[in-house]
Amino acid sequence: MSAHPIPTPVAASGQTLLALRGVCKRFVGVVALDGVDFDLRAGEVHAVCGENGAGKSTLMKVMSGIHQPDGGTIEHRGQVCHFASPRAAERAGVVMIHQELNLVPHLSVAENIYLAREPKRGWFIDRARLKRDAQACLARLGVAISPDAPVRSLSVAQQQMVEIAKALSINAEVLIMDEPTSSLTESETSQLFKVIHELRRAGVGIVYISHRLDEMADIVDRVTVLRDGRYIRTMDFADTTVDEIVSLMVGRSLDEKFPPRTRVPSDEVILSVKDLRRKDVFGPLGFELRRGEVLGFAGLMGAGRTEVARAVFGADPVDGGSVMLQGRELQIRSPVDAIREGIAYLSEDRKAQGLAVAMTVAQNLTLANISAVCGRGGFIRFDEEAKTARRYIEQLNIRTPGPHQIARLLSGGNQQKVVIGKWLFRQSRVIFFDEPTRGIDVGAKYAIYQLLDQLAAEGIGVVLISSELPEILGLTDRVAVFHEGQLMRVLQTRDTTQEEIMHYASGRNGSGSTTT
Amino acid sequence: MNDRQKDLFQKFAALASLLALTVVFSVVSSSFLSVGNAMTVALQVTSIAYLGIAATCVIITGGIDLSVGAILALSGVSAALAVRAGVPVPLGMLAGLLVGALCGVINGLCVTVLKLPPFIATLGMMLVARGVALQITDAKAVGGLGDSFAELGNGSLWRVAKIGADGFPDVVFPGIPYPVLLMVVLAIAVAVLLRRTGLGRHLYAVGSNAEAARLSGVNVRGVTLFAYVLSGTLAGLTGCVLMSRLVTAQPSEGLMYELDAIAAAVIGGTSLSGGVGTISGTLIGAFVIGILRNGLNMGGVSAFVQQIIIGLVILLTVWIDQMRHRR
Repeated sequence: MSAHPIPTPVAASGQTLLALRGVCKRFVGVVALDGVDFDLRAGEVHAVCGENGAGKSTLMKVMSGIHQPDGGTIEHRGQVCHFASPRAAERAGVVMIHQELNLVPHLSVAENIYLAREPKRGWFIDRARLKRDAQACLARLGVAISPDAPVRSLSVAQQQMVEIAKALSINAEVLIMDEPTSSLTESETSQLFKVIHELRRAGVGIVYISHRLDEMADIVDRVTVLRDGRYIRTMDFADTTVDEIVSLMVGRSLDEKFPPRTRVPSDEVILSVKDLRRKDVFGPLGFELRRGEVLGFAGLMGAGRTEVARAVFGADPVDGGSVMLQGRELQIRSPVDAIREGIAYLSEDRKAQGLAVAMTVAQNLTLANISAVCGRGGFIRFDEEAKTARRYIEQLNIRTPGPHQIARLLSGGNQQKVVIGKWLFRQSRVIFFDEPTRGIDVGAKYAIYQLLDQLAAEGIGVVLISSELPEILGLTDRVAVFHEGQLMRVLQTRDTTQEEIMHYASGRNGSGSTTT
Repeated sequence: MNDRQKDLFQKFAALASLLALTVVFSVVSSSFLSVGNAMTVALQVTSIAYLGIAATCVIITGGIDLSVGAILALSGVSAALAVRAGVPVPLGMLAGLLVGALCGVINGLCVTVLKLPPFIATLGMMLVARGVALQITDAKAVGGLGDSFAELGNGSLWRVAKIGADGFPDVVFPGIPYPVLLMVVLAIAVAVLLRRTGLGRHLYAVGSNAEAARLSGVNVRGVTLFAYVLSGTLAGLTGCVLMSRLVTAQPSEGLMYELDAIAAAVIGGTSLSGGVGTISGTLIGAFVIGILRNGLNMGGVSAFVQQIIIGLVILLTVWIDQMRHRR
């Protein structure tokens, strides 16, 4: 098999590579796709937009052979075809890059790129060629990753690049990218966009899914909007606006990105952290959280925001420092201690750390507070549990067939609401939200924003860790800016700008911890 | 189908195959379907059931316990040695249980504190416990234990017998053997524990997503430790009951029983990746294995062929289960 890394122009620009007509897909009890049309031309970037649960992922999976459609047809270069497996789709040049990266952590970069397609000499792997070809792929992407590095030593962004290199090595003519920028920094994103531009020039058709509508202007040619599994419209990106796309996605117009504030910040300090430090990771640093406010944690990836939150929560060890809750010093050695005191942490990695995906919605909601639904003798009362679950399903507007639905089957936004519900049921007094809107669609984001405000208004201390500066500016009252494990500055949100935050986040000016 | 229906379907399928087996064996062998044979089957199943219940709890947490067969032997001979040394039977049996519990504690600590993979930790314990059992008995059976030692394994409740005209007892109703009674009590107790208590819920949570459970305030170490201690204790109990039934304690008893236990759990729908499993399923699994053995025995099928058939049954049921979960 050819392992040439650089895709040669595969088709004349404008030729239709892939066309889906009236595609339907049903899962147990759910219609995921209901007569969806979609076409992809050579040399274009075609975005698919829709809220979570709109059917984007299912559409991608049908295109890439992971799912087989229950109705409708797929045409590949004008020929009706049937992709029985991802392998079959790959052979036709259709490659999907998943949001959850599919790499083997213990193998090297080169071995991952050519996994199951290793260049051979006789019966043995041609290691020299493997390395050379992998190097060529990576060089084309312009990334400085050693082909010999084990994948487990790479950052998420670097792994993303390896996935793209892998797709290039297959000579993909249709590349499906699911949220490729969700974990990339700004410079990595622009690097990725350069690569996308180049692929487009080479005639590759790219299906692009992202929740970050703002960044699409740089690369997207056409956009197709889905809603509730139905096809809504396909438009040239130049003829539309982000606002129009959003209103088509949610089926109503969104006047504002952020909800009005109902909370009134006070001067009363709920949580006070002093001299918190962990060798080689962060600190010493300190901050105060006041009743009724939303405190933002801003900074670049790896600045130590998550680490500080996890340390306060007792999930990671610390080397020193004190945590006071409402004037009382706490001894927190594990999450059990923190939760007992009413401190909660919503992990940035929902599936790996937040949700027991195989358990039901009700079981997840009560997981942190199971004794509250136990009756006499310590036995779980199922009626009480279901009642509790229904209360939060209603209060948080969780879209689920019922409390006994398996959490895995919910969309990202609804899964996040379940995790939030878990902490509300625990009657938490301080909640750290770590990237709560990552991978969540616009409509659900708005609901979560409202929830943050509402919680703060009820007197719960809310800390919002976010890498999206508009979110920080739109939602917080004060913002703590981190850089390489240090707290650079605490700014009043209404008096600051994106530029000022970035200034401190990139380590310019100021040293040590400062509190205003 | 929602999940509850799926669960019912799975149970129904397993139950149906159990019934089908019973019908087939009844047709093939006239003596299969009798109260006497039913009791025999129930008795034979008890060991697999005790260990299967233990295995289910451990596997739900995402672990595995390979040492139960060896712990069973060590506990049994410990109890027997104690009794032969003059310790009253109930205390001797209690000592056996404690030996099993201790082995469970060590397994649990190896997994939670030393962070050894459960497979390795319990593999080590399997060799150590078996070795100790053989060492302290000089690899010989411990006999001469007296009637009271045999009571637990051979006695039964509500046995009704009349002295016949010939002077021999005429059994009207064989009674419910103590091991069978114990199996029912255990199954109900552990099923309630798993389904109705916070601890049980936490066992599932740890197996479903240990990190999410930890960040939700579940004491993951404690819960995991509990599973292994329960497993060790139940293995100890199995040892005492089994040795009592045989009235001698064999240090080589219980070889490969851990595999029967795991098979029972798996046939009953317990997932080896953790987070899924029920006691009722495991009991059905244990009976499927027990009835297959008994029926094939009565049908004169050789032990070797029996192994082949049971192996195939395991493959088939797990495959069906996988199909069910695939979407």
